Amino acid sequence: MATKGRVLTETAAATSRVARRRFPWRDAAAGYLFVGPFLLAYVAFLVTPFVRGIWISLHDWNLLAVSINPDAKRFVGLDNYTRMLWGDGIVWSLDHQLVPRLAGVVIVALLAWWWRSGAINRSTALAGIGATLLLFGLLLGLHPGEEGRWGDRRFWPIVGNTLTFVALTVPSVTLLGLALALGLNRDDRASAALRTAFFLSQVLSVTVVTLIWQLTFSPRQGLIGHAFRTLGLEPVSWVTSIDLAMPAIVIATVWWSLGFAMILFLAGLQEIPAELYEAARLDGAGAWATIRSITLPALSRTMSLVIVLQLILHFQVFGQSHLITRGGPNDATQVLVRYIYQTGFRNSELGYASALAIVLFVFMLVFAMLQIRASREEG
Amino acid sequence: MRRPHVLSILLALLLAAAPAFAQETTITLGRFFGACDTPGVSIADAVGEPCIIQAIVDAFDAADNGVRVETLPTDWGNYYDQIKASYAAGNAPSVHVMHSSAIPEFASLGALADLSEHLAAAGIDTSDWEATARDAVTYDGRVYGVPMDAHANLWHVNLELMAAAGLVDDDGAPILPSSPEEMLEHAAMVRDATGASYLAADFAEFPIGVRLVMALAWQQGAELFGDGVSNVNSPEAVRAVETIVALFDGGFADPRLNYADSQQAFLDGESAILVNGTWVVDFYGAQAANTNVALTDYYAADFPTLFDTPATWASNHLWAIPVTTQRDPEKFDAALELLAWINDQNLAWSRTGHLSVRTSVLESDAYAALPHRDEYAGTIEIARDVQPVVRYDAVQDVLNRELQAIWLTGKPIAQALADADAQVQDLLD
Repeated sequence: MATKGRVLTETAAATSRVARRRFPWRDAAAGYLFVGPFLLAYVAFLVTPFVRGIWISLHDWNLLAVSINPDAKRFVGLDNYTRMLWGDGIVWSLDHQLVPRLAGVVIVALLAWWWRSGAINRSTALAGIGATLLLFGLLLGLHPGEEGRWGDRRFWPIVGNTLTFVALTVPSVTLLGLALALGLNRDDRASAALRTAFFLSQVLSVTVVTLIWQLTFSPRQGLIGHAFRTLGLEPVSWVTSIDLAMPAIVIATVWWSLGFAMILFLAGLQEIPAELYEAARLDGAGAWATIRSITLPALSRTMSLVIVLQLILHFQVFGQSHLITRGGPNDATQVLVRYIYQTGFRNSELGYASALAIVLFVFMLVFAMLQIRASREEG
Repeated sequence: MRRPHVLSILLALLLAAAPAFAQETTITLGRFFGACDTPGVSIADAVGEPCIIQAIVDAFDAADNGVRVETLPTDWGNYYDQIKASYAAGNAPSVHVMHSSAIPEFASLGALADLSEHLAAAGIDTSDWEATARDAVTYDGRVYGVPMDAHANLWHVNLELMAAAGLVDDDGAPILPSSPEEMLEHAAMVRDATGASYLAADFAEFPIGVRLVMALAWQQGAELFGDGVSNVNSPEAVRAVETIVALFDGGFADPRLNYADSQQAFLDGESAILVNGTWVVDFYGAQAANTNVALTDYYAADFPTLFDTPATWASNHLWAIPVTTQRDPEKFDAALELLAWINDQNLAWSRTGHLSVRTSVLESDAYAALPHRDEYAGTIEIARDVQPVVRYDAVQDVLNRELQAIWLTGKPIAQALADADAQVQDLLD
């Protein structure tokens, strides 16, 4: 039977070789046939809306007006972008936002030191120094002069809020997820139960998560409020406090997305061969040395995946800000996607909202590329 | 043999049901007010905005009129976003509720059906509407909606706390301040006698603070905006904001309370006054009757005059029909029929605490006999709507943000009002 089977296979292979010679397009056609359905959906649901978004962003486009009269839009070129990124009487000065900009000097010094000590290669160092100089040296020095004002005075603070949210959430989720995975990577029942418990929050929708945390944060009805009262302290108004509103939505988000990071890390941990740990033990390596020299390097790909996924996810934060704090107080938790939503639907300015969306896309692209580049270098 | 049997039953069912399907016209209804927790109650038994409106619509739906009404989700916070998105997607509800302040935006774009020539035929007598309500649904001389109420800010009063501070007169009415200075004196009296806050309101979430500031500016004879000009940074506006900030500075009010928390503080007996709308009068009345609630002696007072001219913020709820509904004459007629029915139920809706918009209801004994109604009878005289502005939502958002910046972040009043002024002017241009 085996011989017969091989003969048949060889015959088939020969036939296909002949066919390929006679119809060279057949492989390509098969290939296109396989990717075709995906490409169709991709073009219809991603590329087309994206291109249309760019097109709308070049217009003064009132959502309601255009829906009633398609001619109510007006081509304005890049006006929406200049309104967003520029303003009247913008000037550059050396001492504007001096303290944050000194951080730029520190970053340049760090990059230079890493380059010299060989931790990063030349092109990365130069790219990093260039980007830092551009951001901290040039861009952060821009501000409206006397009589001047930004075209959209809310835009930059909202970008800042979004970056703050990402900067607080992504490392927290990554580190806590890793810690949980390391702690629960065992075969006993308690660990299995805890793994399930930590993952459970992940399956909830954003509405449920925000509802739970709204109740938890409420100074009158909430868990935290009760705890404060029991200790004889005055309960804190989390969501209406200018300093605590952002931490509040970060806490809710970390609780929500911790489980997914943990599961990814657990999967990564189970890929590491047990022999490596055994060898390390024989060599007398302690727990910390084992984690540093075996676990973390082996998890670098997982780490990179977790960070990129979190970056993409959390740049698009909406529900937590929309439902827990309504972007407030005084825009303290207003984030880009909620701003896009309000500009487009509440204020009907679809053209400007599309321009904002395109800029958000560019931000996310830049950060995801930076992360991927950084992780490639390590690998 | 089994299969034909089942099939024949199905066929018979279909045939029986077919005429019913054919006759019924289904219309969709968009509204906020929230969902009713106890559906199925009659109009007479319903309490609170969500249940009263649901009972009114359900009764119309159940009546033998060939019309089925499907109510869409009733969330408050995202209502206008959803409505606008539905217009943009070409599937606006057949009929929907809105505020008079939103009429300029929708009507100026031609989104709403012009009802001027259709109301009389539908059995709606517009001459019975109060003049202010008729103005509220009129844009450029055409009528675009059926008004359902006027709602205004009241001072909801905990009489027990006020009595302890000696702020109740011989008739049992609360003694309310007639100047900013007197307000601070009263606030101190309440605190000394009871330890409670003087005034609570949602200063941190919805634009109740904006409406307070507007009312106090109107009382000084100033508009914050109108006729394409922003006047947000006027001396009157500064004075209005200072009046409120003085309460925070004296510890007589907490700016960090949002809607739910400010209401809870009032119901828990932690604040003598709550500034909120007419929409909660029956709810607070019911809460005061509940022995588990700290508030026991409830009074709904007119917004006091702290300056020269009496005024309180007010608006109208109204029902409008999108221009798209008009393309289907059957649905349009069904929608008009529903509006006529809602117009007829004006007394039932007024039980919420809202002011009626129909002269015949306002003058009726049944209306005068509604709980607490005599306590805020003066509100209809002092109720005042904002100036018609196409981008009112955005203007209100700007004001809410900058006012929150003042009382939650300590931004200087002059700076915040100057910033608000520039942004509002941009929106009016």
